[in-house]
Amino acid sequence: MPLKAFTMPKWGIEMSEGMIGEWSVEEGKPFARGEVIALIETDKITNEVEAEADAKFVRIVAQQGETLPVGALLAVYGDDEPSAEVDAFIAAFRPADARMAASDTEDMIAEAAAETEVPPAAPQIDDSLAISPAARARAESGHLDVSSIAGSGRGGRIMLQDVEQALRPPADPQLKGPFDAQGEGNGFASPMARRLAARHGVDLKALKGTGPRGRICKDDVLSAAGAGAAAPSGEIEIVAMSPMRKAIARRLTEAKQTIPHFYLRRRVRADRLLSAREAAGRRGSVNDYLTRAVALALREVPEVNIQVRGTEIHRIPTADIAIAVATNKGLLTPVLRSAESLSVEQIREAVGDLAARARSSKLKQEEIEGGSFSLSNLGPMESSSSTRSSIRRRARSSPSARHVRSRSTTTARSASFPCCTCP
Amino acid sequence: MAVMSIREAINRTIAEEMERDETVIALGEDIVGGMGTAGGPEAIGGIWGATGGLYAKFGPGRVIDTPISESAIVGAAAGAALAGKRPIAELMFADFVGVSLDQIWNQMAKFRYMFGGKTKCPAVIRLIYGAGMNAAAQHSQSVYAMMTSMPGLKIALPATPADAKGLLTEAIRGDDPVLFFEHKAMFGVKGEVPEGEHRVPFGHARLTREGGDVTIVTCGRMVNFSEKAADKLAADGIGCDVIDLRTTSPLDEETILDSVEQTGRLVVVDESPPRCSLAADISALVTAKAFSSLKAPPELVTAPHTPIPFARELERAWLPSPQKVEEAVRKALAFRS
Amino acid sequence: MSQLGRDDLLTAYRRMATIRAFEERLHDEIKTGEIAGFTHLYCGQEAAAVGVCHHLADDDYIVSTHRGHGHCIAKGCDVKAMMQEIYGRAGGLCKGKGGSMHIADISIGMLGANGIVGAGAPIAVGAAISAKLDGRGKVSVAFSGDGACNQGTTFEAMNLAVVLKVPAVFVFENNHYSEHTGVDYSVGTSNDIASRAEAFGMKAWRADGCDFFSTFEAMRDLLDHVRGGGGPAAIELDTERFYGHFEGDPQRYRGPGELDRIRESRDCLKAFRSRVREFADISADDVDVIDGEVGTLIDEATAEAKAAPPPPPEAVLEDVYVSY
Repeated sequence: MPLKAFTMPKWGIEMSEGMIGEWSVEEGKPFARGEVIALIETDKITNEVEAEADAKFVRIVAQQGETLPVGALLAVYGDDEPSAEVDAFIAAFRPADARMAASDTEDMIAEAAAETEVPPAAPQIDDSLAISPAARARAESGHLDVSSIAGSGRGGRIMLQDVEQALRPPADPQLKGPFDAQGEGNGFASPMARRLAARHGVDLKALKGTGPRGRICKDDVLSAAGAGAAAPSGEIEIVAMSPMRKAIARRLTEAKQTIPHFYLRRRVRADRLLSAREAAGRRGSVNDYLTRAVALALREVPEVNIQVRGTEIHRIPTADIAIAVATNKGLLTPVLRSAESLSVEQIREAVGDLAARARSSKLKQEEIEGGSFSLSNLGPMESSSSTRSSIRRRARSSPSARHVRSRSTTTARSASFPCCTCP
Repeated sequence: MAVMSIREAINRTIAEEMERDETVIALGEDIVGGMGTAGGPEAIGGIWGATGGLYAKFGPGRVIDTPISESAIVGAAAGAALAGKRPIAELMFADFVGVSLDQIWNQMAKFRYMFGGKTKCPAVIRLIYGAGMNAAAQHSQSVYAMMTSMPGLKIALPATPADAKGLLTEAIRGDDPVLFFEHKAMFGVKGEVPEGEHRVPFGHARLTREGGDVTIVTCGRMVNFSEKAADKLAADGIGCDVIDLRTTSPLDEETILDSVEQTGRLVVVDESPPRCSLAADISALVTAKAFSSLKAPPELVTAPHTPIPFARELERAWLPSPQKVEEAVRKALAFRS
Repeated sequence: MSQLGRDDLLTAYRRMATIRAFEERLHDEIKTGEIAGFTHLYCGQEAAAVGVCHHLADDDYIVSTHRGHGHCIAKGCDVKAMMQEIYGRAGGLCKGKGGSMHIADISIGMLGANGIVGAGAPIAVGAAISAKLDGRGKVSVAFSGDGACNQGTTFEAMNLAVVLKVPAVFVFENNHYSEHTGVDYSVGTSNDIASRAEAFGMKAWRADGCDFFSTFEAMRDLLDHVRGGGGPAAIELDTERFYGHFEGDPQRYRGPGELDRIRESRDCLKAFRSRVREFADISADDVDVIDGEVGTLIDEATAEAKAAPPPPPEAVLEDVYVSY
């Protein structure tokens, strides 16, 4: 057989590198199909690599215990080729680019890791560098090395946006991939309308557009889809998760796996809270009152107002409460600072501001970091709940993805405080 | 410093440059006026008065009154420039680029590139542009946006007498073809003009107001409108950066982007219809290169997508105004995402 | 005068007198500042416009110049609507959007005054192509001046008309000034424009544009030739401009006493009055009556234009496209 490479396999989307735990075969000794040839460890698993065919390695390149990226050359399959030929093969070997799909999450992991570490000293930005003043200031505050940034301004000048882009995780790829826009016979419709029409099985020819010059637009298709109650087609639609959703899923799983969980459930009669709120003219949601209650409780029971980092307990002087906000990109938990010092009215304003900015992706990094306590948002349920004299809700606080991300671990306590969620 | 009008500044600059460099020549319709008449040469000195006295000083060899033949005027300027002269041609109305477009667009703009950089075409075309004088659809247009889109041309639009001198000097001494736009409603605008040599490099915008809340990018006559709006807004505590581009090609991106990075709000004021306009160009630049700095969508203060009407009431409705600029600034500030 | 009856003559006189009165009224009114923009007066050239247009029907075409009021009136445009247009009124012939330089009335074959010197001739050739295709003997007339005769567009149009053998007529009104420059300076062919047309291969006439009869007769022969399928033709009319290039022009290029002299010796209205009395059964009274009626018409037109409402600002957005 001609010389052939045995490379670091890629198990799963997040695997970027692996460690040779053990070679189970020896150089020059044949092995049979199905035989274990090596043990490879990742940060998650140790896996046995089985031979795919009867073969032998003419050269084992990677050493036991060595950690190598996906695609790296581990050994060379062959017969009894001269050593020089094998050397040439190894020299000529170029690993395939294995970064592609993994890069999104890797960067996020790297970023999450970076947050827990002490930020490196800000690299010096050369005075003669073509960079806008705002970009320079941002690069300095963000400890960003701008030397590798290709500026988008005139003559390659680095603009604020370039710096912010470099400081930001990669964009969320949405609505990607090819789409059958259908033939021209479908009338004068916007691309979005065509896409939706295909998804909902709406016949564009039957629609009268309400857009400019009779163009069929999104709303026309959606209302037709609703009116006609067109049954969705039987096929399962597969939608790729955004990196953000992937990160949320991964971190919630991590939290679940690495933090001892226990649950306390309480039913609370909220009559007095509701009447107090009624008396205040219903300004402030039930949640705002709960936030205030949590803040006061944290002050009274400082043992709960902590973060656990490794073997240290960090006591937090103020009641910094993460408020869960559902956005169309996923759950965000901006942190309300010093909530114990705020009135319900002030909490209402502050939470409203945080939620609005969360939904428009305008939160600053420091606003989603820290805190010792998370509170689910009852927002959408609020109007119905206010009509009842008592609410029957289970209580559970929710450690959010972001929340977890800002700490090395979390405490049992934060997963167990009584407050409310829907039945 | 001497106080003079834009008209005088242009007139003196041409005279000084002709004095300084004998390859500088001037040509155009009625730039002398009265040729072949009983009144004799200089009976008018250009209908804008910007070329008066040149003929007497430099004679018919270098100050060339032409028949009404725009294509020939611009083409002759291009040819003379190829052959070692520095011509300053006048298009009595910028609208007449329509008549001479091939010579501007396919000839002078492209010579250097087409000829592999082996030549230069240091011609200056002065174009009198702009609305506000009820000169109707064929004598009021601001064609600078269309010209800005053309690689190979440089586009200058002075908003003050000092810049008229500085930019025109630079245009004449520079080695590339320059379209130098003079607003017909601004010839009488007076201001201080530096004595002696005064050059304003192309591609360096002028920050005429510093405010920090909203960035107003503009050029030509709209600078004045924008300053008026900015001054009014300043009284209400709203600070505007007003950027006079001076040249739309080359464009001073840095000044625009630096300001927007601070203010996060952009208003572009452009005396043109909106499509493919300077306003569209600047807002595209800013959204592309300072997207993350923007706190509000760019506001474009332009004319509507129509030709320029004649009647006073209609032309007023057509033109941007200080009032419209002020409204745009307030709208940009009121925006909440 | 065999082909001109009494009615013809009185109509021609009325048109020339109307142009004169219209323009002189504008000359006065512009000084008040009520009329905006640029205005170029046709006074002195009345015989040229009327002598040409007297031969034309509503379905013949003319394309005019920036000095277009005379052509409009000679072709039959509504004088009151013209006045409103110049005042920028909603009731103007072009709803106040065109103004003095862009008056048009396509319904009577007046394809527009034109602000661009030299733009008219190619347009007229297009109308002539249309006329030829229609085959009903219509003609298309391009009015140009001694300024426009130096534009490449005019040369191209003349050549195209000859090549296509279309019924186009190139009327060159030589008033001796292209804006503020003398024709001796600007027209290389020694103050002779007709020879240029001849050089392109068409027949050319020359006539006195300050004399209605001279213009009328030359145009009669010319149009016989063109309507008879002889292809395009040109005529150079020697005429005079009584006012400046535009209103406000100080006219320093004029010689001493030049204006008095041409008004004395080259006034087409004076010439017409004396000629009709020689040849026809028209009395001084007949002409005076017309002068009176024309005066009343212009008074009314001016008063109405002043009182008429301006266009509403939203009209700025209308009429850009047929549909969009």
